[in-house]
Amino acid sequence: MTLNAWIPVLALMTSMIASLVIFALPEKGYRLRTAVNLGAALLKLGLVVVMVWGVFRGVNYGVSFTMVPGVTFVLKADAFSMMFAGLSAVLWLLTTIYAVGYLEDSPNRSRFFGFFSLCVASTMGIALAGNLFTFFLFYEMLTLSTYPLVVHRGTEKALKAGRTYVIYTLTGGAVLLLAIAWLHGVAGDLPFREGGHFTDSDPDIHRSLTLIFILLVAGLGVKAAIFPLHGWLPQAMVAPAPVSALLHAVAVVKAGAFGIVRVVHDIYGVEASSALGLLEPLAWLAAFTILYASVRALWQVDLKRRLAFSTVSQVSYIILGVSIFGPVAAVGGLVHLLHQGIMKITLFFCAGNYAETLGIHRIDEMDGAGRRMPGTSVAFTIGAFGMIGAPPLAGFITKWTMGSGALAVNMDWVVVVLVTSSLLNAAYFLPVLYRLWFREPEAAWPHERQWGRLETSAWLFWPPLLTAAMTVMVGVLASLPFSPLSWAELIVLREYSP
Amino acid sequence: MMLPESVLVLMAVCLPLLYPAMALHAGWVRAMRYTLPVLPLPALVLALGSEPGWNLEMPWLLNGGLWAVDGMRRLFLLLTAVLWMVAGIYAVGYLTPYHLRRFCVFWGLTLAGNLGLTVAVDIGSFYSFFALMTFAGYGLVVHEGTNEAIRAGRVYLVMAVLGEMAILAGLLLASAAADSQMLADLPKAIAEAPRRDLIIGLLIAGFGVKAGLPLLHFWLPLAHPVAPTPASAVLSGAMIKAGLLGWLVTLPFGEIAQPGWGTLMIVAGALGSIGAAVLGVCQRRPKAVLAYSSISQMGLMVLMAGAALADPERASVLFSVIALYALHHGFAKGSLFLSAGVSLPAGWMQRATAWLLIALPGLSLAGLPFTSGALAKLAMKEGLSEKMLDFSLAGYLSPLMTAGAVATLLLVFRYLWTLAGKLETGRNPPMLAAGWLASVAMSLVAFWWMPWEVESLVKSPLWLPAPYQLWALVWPMLIAVALAAVALVASRLFKQR
Repeated sequence: MTLNAWIPVLALMTSMIASLVIFALPEKGYRLRTAVNLGAALLKLGLVVVMVWGVFRGVNYGVSFTMVPGVTFVLKADAFSMMFAGLSAVLWLLTTIYAVGYLEDSPNRSRFFGFFSLCVASTMGIALAGNLFTFFLFYEMLTLSTYPLVVHRGTEKALKAGRTYVIYTLTGGAVLLLAIAWLHGVAGDLPFREGGHFTDSDPDIHRSLTLIFILLVAGLGVKAAIFPLHGWLPQAMVAPAPVSALLHAVAVVKAGAFGIVRVVHDIYGVEASSALGLLEPLAWLAAFTILYASVRALWQVDLKRRLAFSTVSQVSYIILGVSIFGPVAAVGGLVHLLHQGIMKITLFFCAGNYAETLGIHRIDEMDGAGRRMPGTSVAFTIGAFGMIGAPPLAGFITKWTMGSGALAVNMDWVVVVLVTSSLLNAAYFLPVLYRLWFREPEAAWPHERQWGRLETSAWLFWPPLLTAAMTVMVGVLASLPFSPLSWAELIVLREYSP
Repeated sequence: MMLPESVLVLMAVCLPLLYPAMALHAGWVRAMRYTLPVLPLPALVLALGSEPGWNLEMPWLLNGGLWAVDGMRRLFLLLTAVLWMVAGIYAVGYLTPYHLRRFCVFWGLTLAGNLGLTVAVDIGSFYSFFALMTFAGYGLVVHEGTNEAIRAGRVYLVMAVLGEMAILAGLLLASAAADSQMLADLPKAIAEAPRRDLIIGLLIAGFGVKAGLPLLHFWLPLAHPVAPTPASAVLSGAMIKAGLLGWLVTLPFGEIAQPGWGTLMIVAGALGSIGAAVLGVCQRRPKAVLAYSSISQMGLMVLMAGAALADPERASVLFSVIALYALHHGFAKGSLFLSAGVSLPAGWMQRATAWLLIALPGLSLAGLPFTSGALAKLAMKEGLSEKMLDFSLAGYLSPLMTAGAVATLLLVFRYLWTLAGKLETGRNPPMLAAGWLASVAMSLVAFWWMPWEVESLVKSPLWLPAPYQLWALVWPMLIAVALAAVALVASRLFKQR
């Protein structure tokens, strides 16, 4: 095998091996475990950077072998893979740093970081999967590796949330498997290919294709938290903050959204999906999810729960973007895969900081926290404005691009959805910001800890500030090459003119 | 090699944008206070020192950034820079230690937004700076933390968010119609777009929130007075003009006649101009009177914008007049707001001088001869003269302007009356007095050296209006004086009973 075949495998193996090493390490080996964690994260980031550059220049990275006749295992790096892989590599590094600080002195850290690495290995596999079967393997591995993280605290509430999570995701997985097997029966083993496979398909199989599409979306929609399959997500927020950050921003919901984009773009193809009349209902479903979850978020008093409903809403932007038949709107959807990740991880990091440093969990406890924790609160403010879609932040680039794309194909109602969603986002984020900056604090915080010079532990302090800076940069510098926007344009260029 | 203008414009925007970083160090709060007046300096140098015609391309910024200054933007930039500077000087003396750092942070951000939107020529950065100004402005409005300020802030924020969304939708539709990310391409594309009326409606309403358009105005008399006095001055003098500028750079002026929208804006302007005056004279607090006066004055500018929309031939001339009027009103209104926070000296000579300096910018608003107001009013009269304009409402404009002048002076009297009951005798902090005197000097003296020449309408320097013009300026003022006298006598009679 050549080096180009090995690179994706290596990228996958770094976190996998890190996971095994960490499981083997004793609980007390704090320094070594941190070194392995950070070393693996940096190594993987390096490999991803190499692949991003290669894919940009048209290099093929890939490996495939036959498992049983007719079923192949394919790892392959295309532009869309690299978007997800890049997101998970960058945010894994930051989340690892954050988690080291967050779980200081808590039990079972070895178990936690082992599954944590396994979870990231799964996202890497999902990103690099070259066909639905490979995708499915890693997709299920993700479910199994995140369950121990959700229930990590071991409380009754956590166990209950974990149970809900597993019921939802395993059922979704079963539906997905059924759909994949059916598709295999109808059309054989299909690699992901820009432009899809069904542009000139036999009219006899259209009915099956439609049904399979519905099943695929239903199976993937559980993780992507599309209404009415989103019920697990708000419950899962009982997990520790770095896990929530990972679930919401990087791994789980994104795996679902990523899968749906793969199905639409690289299995069916946008043209065929549109011709089969599959895109419009999907767009309406996504639009409904965006608005419904935003309305639900308004009534949440727990900060992380409000953020969870916000995730449900924001992930559907990606689905909405790809289900509008037009290149510009697709760019808007794809770029949100990265933008939402960066913004939402900022917000969850901050929520974790408030909880760890001041013992704040509910929104009405946040009065005056801006003065006590200015760095975290600036990051939170930037993340929240990004979610609202205020220019020039990441969320604005998404909304502007998607809105322009929708108008270009005469789907004006999308603009109404975008504007309404912005209004709702403002309605549930601005009151929080008001409390942070303009209310006087209560006499004492619920549970305050001191860390010396910085407002909180340095491990917790820097990651949200970095992601907040990224939220600003990906918006302000959107037109630079290799910005998320430029990369999404590259993906769509290759999809719409394969 | 970068042009000096490029460096200057970057400094003009980045200095106030990065200034909040000083808040990182608690010990620098004193330095932050004294830096306030310096923040608009590069913008001022840019506005005064460079001829329009340059531009700064930043292809990496948002969807492609382009900053430039033309003749009209130059006047807005000048107004913004000068007003923020005198208000900054005033603020150094005015501010108390209460949340001083927080105030300075929002001051810097709001200023950066206000300056940035004036030089931005691409949609992305224009809208970004507009939003920055809007959201950071909230921090100035609620600074005092009183229940009243918080209530006003809530109304401000709700209206601002609704306005931002209308602007977003309008700009999106316009940008899609133009297939361009530059403001300059929008007017023509909007004029030809199938969804023309929707776009125009959204933009008028969106920017109208900021400009105090009647029915969208009700946040303004709540928010402008509750802010700390220097912030009131920039809110009512400079930031209110951002809505006006938004209209001027996006709406299809000079493309095709829009009699419907033109009429709507003329009616709205007239309603604002007269209606705000009626509500304003009922106010008991000086700054509330001034806030209504701002709505009333903006009404006249809205009216001119409506005329320009209705008659494309006259648009370019009316643009110059609007810019001139905005400049005049910004300085005068800024100065009036700043006077609301001064203390009067003890001796009667000094006292009389102080009152004169307080009153003169107000009388300038009403068009007192030999003031910037006279110039602006004459230019407006000429710009809106019936024989030049070509649409049905043109005949009503002249009486409307006269009524507006009467209303303005009545409001100024009301302001002075309420202020007299409130001002205390005492010493002013030196910087506060300096800021206020500078604002008076800007309005009455420095104005004449500014680059506002309006082609073929008013020749500069127009120190001495012709006698017939003098009469035109003075007789509405006499009516107002008579009305005020009647009101005074009536109130005395009522009190005696």
